Amino acid sequence: MAQTVATPVVPIARRRNWSSLIVGLLLLLVFSPLIVSIATKIVHNPLLLLGQLKVGLVNGAIIAIIALGYTLVYGIIELINFAHGDVYMLGAFTTLILLSLLNIGTTTPWIIRGPVLLLILAIVMAVCGGINVGIERFAYRRLRNAPRLAPLISAIGVSFVLQNVGLVLGGVPVFEGDYWALVALVAPVVVIALAMVLARRFAAGAERKMPGWGWLILIVVAASLAVAGFNLVHHGLQSAVPLTLGDNVMGETAPGPKNVPEVIASVSAKPLLETPFRLTWKDLMVLVMCGILMSSLYLFVQRTKVGKAMRATAQDRDAARLMGINVDATIALAFLLGGALGGAAGMIVGMYSNSAVFVMGFTAGLRAFTSAVLGGIGNIAGSMLGGLLIGLISALSDQYIETRWTNAVVFGILVIILVFRPSGLLGEDVGQKA
Amino acid sequence: MSRAINIGVWTGVFGLFIIVLFGGQSVLAAGLICGLLTGLLGGARTEGETMQAGVRDGLIAAAVAGVILIVSNVLRNIIITPLVGQNVPSTAEVLSFGIAGAAITMVLGAALGAAHFLPGRRSSYATWGILGLVILIYPFLDYSIQLGWLGIVITGLIFILLALGLNIVVGYAGLLDLGYAAFFAIGAYTAAFLSSSYIGDQLNFANPRVSFWLVIFIAAAMAGLFGLILGAPTLPLRGDYLAIVTLGFGEIVPIVFRNLDTFGITIFGHEFIKTFNLTGGELGISPIDPPKLPGLDFANRSDQRPWYFLLVLIILFSIFLINRLRRSRLGRAWMAMREDELAASSMGINIVRTKLLAFAMGASFSGFGGAYFGAFVGGAFPSAFDFSVSVIVLCMVILGGLGNIPGVIVGGLIIELSDRLFLPQITLLLQSIAQHNANNPSLSGLQRFDPTLYRTGLFGLVLVLMMQLRPEGLLPNARRKLELHAAQDSPAEAAQGRTDLYDVEAEAAGS
Repeated sequence: MAQTVATPVVPIARRRNWSSLIVGLLLLLVFSPLIVSIATKIVHNPLLLLGQLKVGLVNGAIIAIIALGYTLVYGIIELINFAHGDVYMLGAFTTLILLSLLNIGTTTPWIIRGPVLLLILAIVMAVCGGINVGIERFAYRRLRNAPRLAPLISAIGVSFVLQNVGLVLGGVPVFEGDYWALVALVAPVVVIALAMVLARRFAAGAERKMPGWGWLILIVVAASLAVAGFNLVHHGLQSAVPLTLGDNVMGETAPGPKNVPEVIASVSAKPLLETPFRLTWKDLMVLVMCGILMSSLYLFVQRTKVGKAMRATAQDRDAARLMGINVDATIALAFLLGGALGGAAGMIVGMYSNSAVFVMGFTAGLRAFTSAVLGGIGNIAGSMLGGLLIGLISALSDQYIETRWTNAVVFGILVIILVFRPSGLLGEDVGQKA
Repeated sequence: MSRAINIGVWTGVFGLFIIVLFGGQSVLAAGLICGLLTGLLGGARTEGETMQAGVRDGLIAAAVAGVILIVSNVLRNIIITPLVGQNVPSTAEVLSFGIAGAAITMVLGAALGAAHFLPGRRSSYATWGILGLVILIYPFLDYSIQLGWLGIVITGLIFILLALGLNIVVGYAGLLDLGYAAFFAIGAYTAAFLSSSYIGDQLNFANPRVSFWLVIFIAAAMAGLFGLILGAPTLPLRGDYLAIVTLGFGEIVPIVFRNLDTFGITIFGHEFIKTFNLTGGELGISPIDPPKLPGLDFANRSDQRPWYFLLVLIILFSIFLINRLRRSRLGRAWMAMREDELAASSMGINIVRTKLLAFAMGASFSGFGGAYFGAFVGGAFPSAFDFSVSVIVLCMVILGGLGNIPGVIVGGLIIELSDRLFLPQITLLLQSIAQHNANNPSLSGLQRFDPTLYRTGLFGLVLVLMMQLRPEGLLPNARRKLELHAAQDSPAEAAQGRTDLYDVEAEAAGS
């Protein structure tokens, strides 16, 4: 009886895909001279290889942090959050603005610099997490049950909008040591937050009746109030107690690259370890921060109850809802965590390379996405591994091929992985769902 | 009645926008555009009305728009023209041009309004006839009043050709292609290699220069081939993975064209291929030979009318081709597959083959457009093919309406004109105001504001808003007004709001 019901299922993954094999062989043939020449270069100077490996490790750690944002979101709602790279860019810009306004630099004593940096990290993570949650609320939530392409197209749109937010930010003059600007920036935020808390206290439940666009209008009104308040407070205070201001960190043109103030002594200072590694304090900072972020995320997802809810939602959204998990809140949490990590990565990059530009999110985002796919998208450990691998590969490509080819190499890897092993290194088979 | 006035006001405001931006004799072009809009929208069919009602509604809408045109032409010449530092023409000239613009609007509005109410097929024949006439007249008008839009319109039409091709991939087959610009680049570079002296100059031999008429088809075939090579291993993947693979490909191709300026193969010190500049790097390859046809001069840069007419012919042929394709066995297979892949494959559709055909066909449209673009601008430059091109074309398809040819054309016109005509003109206007009022602090600050910087943000916003509010596009039902068989459709169906991204029923009803 049962045998008549069961139809022989041909596992799609097992079928020999001859076209892929042929393309693979062709690729190998075309690139064999390149591989040979790289091998000879490595044999000639192995010490250089060690140095490049360190560079790759540091860059890879940052890429891994960004990749986690893609993987968290993809794991839960199977959406490529295209805007994630731009959230990371906004993280770098927020860092740049805060560091400049507070006038933190290499000369600030560590007793002040350390806590302030930690505070900035917290603010940047909160801001970027908040932005990401807002994106989910306004651009993706309505499309959750739409055809697959709809949220992806929306995500591309959001990415471009955020890039232009970065461009606008780049045109706003920000002066070093402008404490009043900081006060003026914080004051409206505090006022709005207080108003919201009060509204919640006295008109509880009202916010649930409000439609999504009502929230958007509220945010726009609040933002314009903040800008007006900024002008009022800033100019009022500036006329009362004038400050001696430094340079405008945003430079002459809006699209140009910005200089992020240096907070950790640069390469020219005495390194921690001499050649061949030449490990600087900056490298150490990146590795330590990324290590802490990655391990705390891993512990959060694996050990806490909320993390368990996230994993459950990722496995089966409907079943999770039946088990009493608030699916909307869990998805928002994934976006919050992802955005916070992206913001932290933006800050780390800002401090490491001392520059920020509004297009930095696009390339970094694609690299991070590549590493998430390489490790197996949706798999947290896989993304970390993928990030490190992509970092190493691009560092090697910078050295042994040419810097201008590195992007092509990374995207080539992306295409090859998606074609030959779409489930990635550590991911389980995602199947062929359309 | 009130609807006609409403439409008249809105199109008039659009005309005002054009006049304020461009000044001079642009009121005539504004009249042409307003006439089309009022005629097509204002005279729309309502049950039980007569031809007189159509003419009346068209005329009312056009008259309202015309009055706005005259007033705004006067105001523009009084307020803005001196501000920019142009010469103010005489009052009689301003008024007569304004009235001429209004007259164009009213003639077109009335004619199109009347055309709506002709019985049966004659209605759509008349509408198409009037549209065709406008398309035919426009370049001569442009040329005679020195409007200078023609080059931009041609580029826009090339992008509309691309959008029509992308519509096959995204709209019919439901595959998201984010690397569409790559095929565009391949087409342009194919043209550059085959019909310029570049390769011969680099390697010191006189290379044969293939005629444009052959090159566009070779370019299309080349792009289609690359589409097959990219698509064959990727298409069995799920939809969003395909999007990312195409995105990666779209990033690689310009990098390759940019970086192959030192091309050569050397292994162990032995030079297999001597290093030379294959693609011209950032500077690209130019010039590319223009097409040759007896009696027409394509090489004259100051008169681009032959390019325009050739392109209009190509687009008309493409529309014909795509329409036939959509109704063919293949086209129906695309739509079935897009709706439900599993069901389609159960019905015996070879999914991979069908997808691959859609992908390759879309790619060859892009290659074709690329070759034309290369010949038109006279060169192939890597910076002309970056990711934003893919997004712009996608934006056109989404804005107009996925899978709907008139929608795609309208979306393409809106996006291209705002990107290449209106935004740069706004910038130019602001800058010239600032320059002529350098001592006025409130006006000279305009110099620093450059709206063209934020063009990608505009497209992004369009994509997000369309997905949130109207995923089916601006003109999901435009065929009811423009297509041949609109008369048989029931108005109830037109009134029914459709929110699905793809809808086979609507497609079937329209065809």
